Amino acid sequence: MSAPDNTATPVASDGPENERGITGKGLSSGTVGLIGAVVIGISCIAPAYTLTAALGPTVSAVGFQVPAIILIGFIPMLLVAFGYRELNNRMPDSGTSFTWATRAFGPWVGWMAGWGLIAATILVLSNLAGIAVDFLFLLIAQLANAPGIADLAANPFINVVVCLLFMLGATLISYRDMQTTQRLQYFLVSFQVLVLLFFAGTAIFAVANGNGFDSSALSWEWFNPFAVTSFSAVAAGLSLSIFIFWGWDVTLTMNEETKDPERTPGRAATLTVVTIVALYLLLAVSLLMFSGTGTGEFGLGNPDIQDNVFFALAGPILGPLAFIVSLAVLTSSASSLQSTFVSPARTLLAMGHYRALPQKFAAVSPRFLTPGYAVIVSSVVASGFYAVMRFISENVLWDTITALGMMISFYYGITAFACVWYFRHQWFDSVRNVFFTFLFPLIGGLILAALFFITLIDSMDPEYGSGSSVGGLGLVFILGLTVIIVGIVIMIWQAIKHPAFFRGETLSMDAPPSHRGRRR
Amino acid sequence: MSGCIVVGYTATDAGMDAVALGSRLAAASGAQLELVLILPSGSRSVITPPDAGYDRYLNDQAAKWLADAVAAVPDGVAHATHIRYGDSFADGLMTAANDLGASHIVIGTAGDGRRGRHRLGTVANTLLHSAEVPVVLAPEGSRGTNPLIGITRITAAVGTRPGAGTLMGEALSLATVTGAKLRLLSLVTVDLPPSVDTGVIEIAGAAHASNVLSTARKSLPADISSEVVVARGTSIEDAVQHLSWEPGEIAMVGSSRLATPRRLFIGSTAAKMLHELPVPMIVVPRTQNTSEGTQR
Repeated sequence: MSAPDNTATPVASDGPENERGITGKGLSSGTVGLIGAVVIGISCIAPAYTLTAALGPTVSAVGFQVPAIILIGFIPMLLVAFGYRELNNRMPDSGTSFTWATRAFGPWVGWMAGWGLIAATILVLSNLAGIAVDFLFLLIAQLANAPGIADLAANPFINVVVCLLFMLGATLISYRDMQTTQRLQYFLVSFQVLVLLFFAGTAIFAVANGNGFDSSALSWEWFNPFAVTSFSAVAAGLSLSIFIFWGWDVTLTMNEETKDPERTPGRAATLTVVTIVALYLLLAVSLLMFSGTGTGEFGLGNPDIQDNVFFALAGPILGPLAFIVSLAVLTSSASSLQSTFVSPARTLLAMGHYRALPQKFAAVSPRFLTPGYAVIVSSVVASGFYAVMRFISENVLWDTITALGMMISFYYGITAFACVWYFRHQWFDSVRNVFFTFLFPLIGGLILAALFFITLIDSMDPEYGSGSSVGGLGLVFILGLTVIIVGIVIMIWQAIKHPAFFRGETLSMDAPPSHRGRRR
Repeated sequence: MSGCIVVGYTATDAGMDAVALGSRLAAASGAQLELVLILPSGSRSVITPPDAGYDRYLNDQAAKWLADAVAAVPDGVAHATHIRYGDSFADGLMTAANDLGASHIVIGTAGDGRRGRHRLGTVANTLLHSAEVPVVLAPEGSRGTNPLIGITRITAAVGTRPGAGTLMGEALSLATVTGAKLRLLSLVTVDLPPSVDTGVIEIAGAAHASNVLSTARKSLPADISSEVVVARGTSIEDAVQHLSWEPGEIAMVGSSRLATPRRLFIGSTAAKMLHELPVPMIVVPRTQNTSEGTQR
């Protein structure tokens, strides 16, 4: 056997070797191909889950103009994603928004950006698990041919218990970093897409045969955002459509992880978004054609079905095959639960690492090499949140989705401005920089900021969204405000207890200098 | 010895057990100690988006963990640390062992209850099936043993199953480099079917015992003593239970001993033996390839 190349004297180990492993097949660099990136992108977005959760609330805001809102909702997402990409290339860090906003605006804003991200993902975790519970019962009901079972999901106690079990399972999987095989994941994503196509196709077919519930002829007006009557409605619709694209940015920000960093991220992002937008438009159009926006039993305007439309419509459209929609949504929620868990856990880890939170959050499980403590905390908070909401909200899924749109606008907006401000010395280094570090993120950030404030103000109305209210104020408003105030309180508490981060000792503000000798 | 000792390290008690035992072996044999920490490679992540930022963090953390491990290595033992990537702990460890030219792979087996056993199950299972070099299993608590105690005695359980020759060779070479006494446990009595007449078993046992002992005496240096005992009981687990053990002792068995037709249970056999054994166990693969550049 070959002798090791080290000398026989004890080596004072000051770190790992760097020659092999790390650049070669180590880390994540160069491991993701185009298809892999698209699969991760689609499975993060989880179109089956997002659409069933968001379609109803969007219809209630903008009526038939859902397709228009989906199309324009993509614009702020795209603009902000460009900013994300610039920041990620410059400062790849698991803290993402938290780290970047701290670098640009200092610890206080950075902390709140991190908080926004965590709050948003915790909201979506509880919503995901809630949707999964509905579909689990529906699937059992469909397979057992006993419709009564599906109604069990409406019992808050059963619902909460099953939901907590789901969360427990997802937590274990995330904590132990269990991954499926690539083949299985490719299969699940293809299955999800094919089922949605089939679902939409069957709905259109039914309408063509005169079997629609409330057949509505397709109209180009549906694609015209100006046909929406009020600006508030557009804002409400937009903040929902931001949610449906959320997660797409991972394809764009996967950079050094891809086999060909020059081309793969761009192509993967394009391919993913074309797939997703096509799928969303097709489904939105087909379901609008089938159900109309009325408030009848299967009308998309019926508040009873709006928080989970596939749940209500799969049966009437697909008949005995309805269970495949349940399966698609379940698998989509399951893989999305796992990828979603990673996001707050990594941010919490980064915040712990930079002492913005107690250092416990920075702990990595030595056995499973995951941010173990952060995963468990996220899970406990999301579970507790869901349990409380299930009892105080008339329509928990709907309200969480709306509040989620607001929180995404909040932290994406801050991130977009962070990009603009961080690169302030480099704006005019090149034409490319003018667009990607200045104009695009600035416009995206302004749109999101506007959305955030409009949603916040509008949601004070107790009739907003699902109509849940506490003390005469809309529940969504209470939720959004509570999340932000709790964030501020924890931030101040941490600043008093462990001020190092807030003094800029652990993560300093920065702005890279211009590469030009002198600026124009 | 012809290679280095690779320790599969995790920042757990089991990992520290492995470091302590690896240090002991290295100190006794004068071999180089290679502490290897395996991180998950990015290619296994198909659901969660890979994150280079987190990977870097993990890498830094791994370096700190390895520094802790190094602190436990006694002075005078030549050592180096490595961070490697693999689809699994066992997979990464075997690749590293190949690259580094390992003579032994050391892993810990301590664990908290069921999960610990499971871990021994999967990692040990994979290693025992696929590793080309002997795998050393450090029982829970090895970290409490003074690494400088060395290896005082080696007990090799030699039977007639395939691989016995390889095991014998391995035992002799380890005894030679460490200067440990060699105790040979003849398993012929265990290997013969129970239907065989007791008298015949006794005769066969005595013959096998004297046979292996003379082989050992021939190849061992004059100053290393060797003895032979004939196993009692119906299984190897039984046989080791009846023996006395020195604190600095190491047991050696061939992997064919642990292999059962239902391969999934190999880990539990190993776990059961470790439970019986108060000392570390070296499992020698059936066909050991000692040439350089071995490939899986």
